[in-house]
Amino acid sequence: MSIVLVGLNHKTAPVAVRERLAFSDEACAAGLRALVDGQIVREGLIVSTCNRVEVLTATSAESALEGTERISRFLSEARTVSPESIKEHLYSHADDEAVRHIFRVASSLDSMVVGEPQVLGQVRRAYSLAVETGTAGRVLNRLVHHAFRVAKRVRSETGIAASAVSISYMAVELGRKIFGSLKGRTVLLIGAGEMAELALRHLINAGAARVMVSNRTDDAAHKLAHEFGGEAVDFARLAEHLSEADVVICSTGASDYVVTPAMAREALERRRNRPSFLIDISVPRNIDPAVGQLSNLFVFDIDDLEAFIASNIREREREAERAELIVESEVMQFQQALRALDIGPTVGALRQKLQDIARDQLKRQRGRLGQLTPEQEQAIEALLLSTVNKISHPLIHRMRRSYDSGDDENIRAWREIFGLETEANAAGLLGDESDAETDF
Amino acid sequence: MKPFLLAVLAAYVVAAIHSVLAFVNKRRAVERVAFLSLAIGFMLHTASLIIDWTQEGHYPLFGLRETLSFLAWTLVVTFLLTLSRYRATALGSFTLPLVALLTFAATVIRSKATTPSAMTDGGAAWLFPLHTTMLLFAYASFFVVFIASIMYLVQERELKLKTFGAFFHRLPSLSTVNEIASHAAGIGLTLLTLGIATGMLWSSSRDGRLWHNDPKEIFAALTWMLYLALIVYRASASWRGRRAAWLGVAGFALVLCTFFGTRLMGTYHVFG
Repeated sequence: MSIVLVGLNHKTAPVAVRERLAFSDEACAAGLRALVDGQIVREGLIVSTCNRVEVLTATSAESALEGTERISRFLSEARTVSPESIKEHLYSHADDEAVRHIFRVASSLDSMVVGEPQVLGQVRRAYSLAVETGTAGRVLNRLVHHAFRVAKRVRSETGIAASAVSISYMAVELGRKIFGSLKGRTVLLIGAGEMAELALRHLINAGAARVMVSNRTDDAAHKLAHEFGGEAVDFARLAEHLSEADVVICSTGASDYVVTPAMAREALERRRNRPSFLIDISVPRNIDPAVGQLSNLFVFDIDDLEAFIASNIREREREAERAELIVESEVMQFQQALRALDIGPTVGALRQKLQDIARDQLKRQRGRLGQLTPEQEQAIEALLLSTVNKISHPLIHRMRRSYDSGDDENIRAWREIFGLETEANAAGLLGDESDAETDF
Repeated sequence: MKPFLLAVLAAYVVAAIHSVLAFVNKRRAVERVAFLSLAIGFMLHTASLIIDWTQEGHYPLFGLRETLSFLAWTLVVTFLLTLSRYRATALGSFTLPLVALLTFAATVIRSKATTPSAMTDGGAAWLFPLHTTMLLFAYASFFVVFIASIMYLVQERELKLKTFGAFFHRLPSLSTVNEIASHAAGIGLTLLTLGIATGMLWSSSRDGRLWHNDPKEIFAALTWMLYLALIVYRASASWRGRRAAWLGVAGFALVLCTFFGTRLMGTYHVFG
C-alpha cells in the first residue's frame, strides 16, 4: 500500500488558481466517488480550504506513480481546468513525504500564519466527508487519526500557538500579562470600529465582566452597549469612568488627544494606583503618549501592537522548528505502524511456509525416486510447488479479502493456524518483503 | 549523614538543571522531572535532618554547615508552599539553583568540633532553635519577595519600553508576582518579628540582656523596619507596583548583610 498526496497551497499557487480548484462539500463527495476506483486509488480524501487543495489517497503499492498522474488528471477534470495551467502549481508526495506533509498541514506548520488553529478543523471536516462518502479505509483512517495526534502533541509540547498574532487578540494577551486573568475585569471602549469591537469580543470571551461604551454621539454608544450587554457612559465624564476601567480600548476618529495625562492621573488616584492598560488603535492617536509615563499605567498604540505581533510571529517560527522534530519522529512511528498493518508479510510467509513443506517432503522422498535427469528433477519440484500454490491461492485470496474489509481477527486466526506469527513479524520488521506476493 | 546529604545534593542538582531547562524550553515533561527530583530531594533532606537531630542530640541548625543545609531546606519548603498557591513554576528556576548551591556548600564545609550545648545552654534553651528556625524561614520568605520583585521589575520595564524579551513569555503575570511578593513579605515580617522576639527572650533568660548591640542585631532591626515600611506602603496605596518591588530588592540586600555580612565582622552571633 502506498500513500500518495497531490495538491497545491498558498505557497505554490496564487489565489486565482486556488479558487478555481476549490471543492465544495458536494463536489468533494462526488469527486471522491469518481476518484476512488478500488484498483489504483483505493482510498481518498480531499482537503479544500481557501489556502490549499490537497488530495490524499492510498493506492496499491506498485501504482504510486500512476496514482499521482491519476490525481492530477482528476483535479483538472473535476474542476474543468487545463492540466497545463495547474501543472506548475501542483506538488506531489508519496509515502513518507506524503505522511510528513499531511502531519505538517494538520499541525498548522504549513499554514500561512504558522500555528493558526483552523486548519485542524478543516482536516477533520475533510476526513468526516471522506468517511461519509465511504472513501476512507484502513490506511487513511490510521493516517488521519495519527495526524490528529501529532497536531495535539505539537500544540501541547511547543509554543507554536501560544502567543497572539492579531491586534484584537493582543488585548487579551496583554491583559493576561498584567492581570493574570481577565475574569471579572471592566473594559471601557471609547469610540467604535471593527477592530476595537473584535478586541472587546475577545476580552469578553476571556472573562471580562463589565463593559462600558463611550462615544461622542450617545446613540452610537447606546447601540454598541446594547450589543455587548454593557452600559453607555457619558463622554463628557470620561475621566470618571476611566478610573473604573481595568482595560481601555480607544478607537475614535478624533484628531486630538481624548485621554490626557491629567485625566489619567486623576483616574489613577481614584483607583488607588491599581494598574490598568490602555490600547490606542486610532490614527491619529487619541491617548497622549505622556500617559504611558505614569507608573502602573500601560499604554500601547498601534505601532507597539504591530511590533509585538512581529516578535510573536518570530517566536512561533522558532517553536515551529521544534515542532518539525516532533513531526519527524511521528512519521517514523507511523511507518512502523503501517508496516504492521500490511498484509504482505503474512501472505509472503504463508506461501514460503507451504513451499518449504513441499521442498522438505521432496528431499525426504528423493531416495525412492531413483535415478532422474536434472530436467526431471526440476519438473518434479515445479509440479510440487505449483500444486502448493494452487492450494494456497484461495486461502490467500480470502486473507486479502479479510484484510480489505478490516477483519483483523480473521487474519490473526490464519496466522495462528499456519504458525506464521514469528515469521510474519520478522518480515514486517525487515519491511522489504511486503510486496513479495505480487507476481502470484 | 554525609552520604545522605550527597544524595540530597544529587536530587537537587537534577531538579535545578531541569527547572532551568523547563524555563528555557517551556516543556512540561522537563518540568515534571524537576518536580519529581525536587520531591525526592526534599524527602531525603527532611529525613537527613531528622537523623542528624536524633543521632547528634542537638537541633540540626548550628554552625555554618548545618545552617546552610537547613537554609536550603527552608527555601524548598517555602517554594513548595508558594507553588501550592500560585502557578509560578518560573520561581523554581531561580530558587532551585540556589538550593543546590547551598546544599553543595553544606557538603564541602567541615564543621568545627564545638558542641552547641556549651554555647546555647543556660536560660530557656528551648527558645534557641525556635529563634533560628523562624529567622531562616523569614529569610526564605524574603528571598521569594526578592525574586518576585525582580520578576515584576523586569516585566514592568518591558511593558513600558515595549520590548518583549525572552523572559516575557516565561514569567508569571504582573499581578501574580505582585501578590506573591506581598504575601511573602507579610509572612516574612511576621516570622522575623517572632524570630527577633524569641531571640531577645532567650538572651534575657540567659544573661539578662535583651540587646547586645552587635552588627547582626542592628542589621536585623533595619531589615525589620524596611519590610514594615514595605508592607505599610503597599497597604496604604493598595498597589504601588514598581516602588514596592524596589523595596523588595533593597530589603533582600539587607537580609544578605544580616545573614552573611556580620559573620565576617565576627561578633556575639557567630557560633560556628
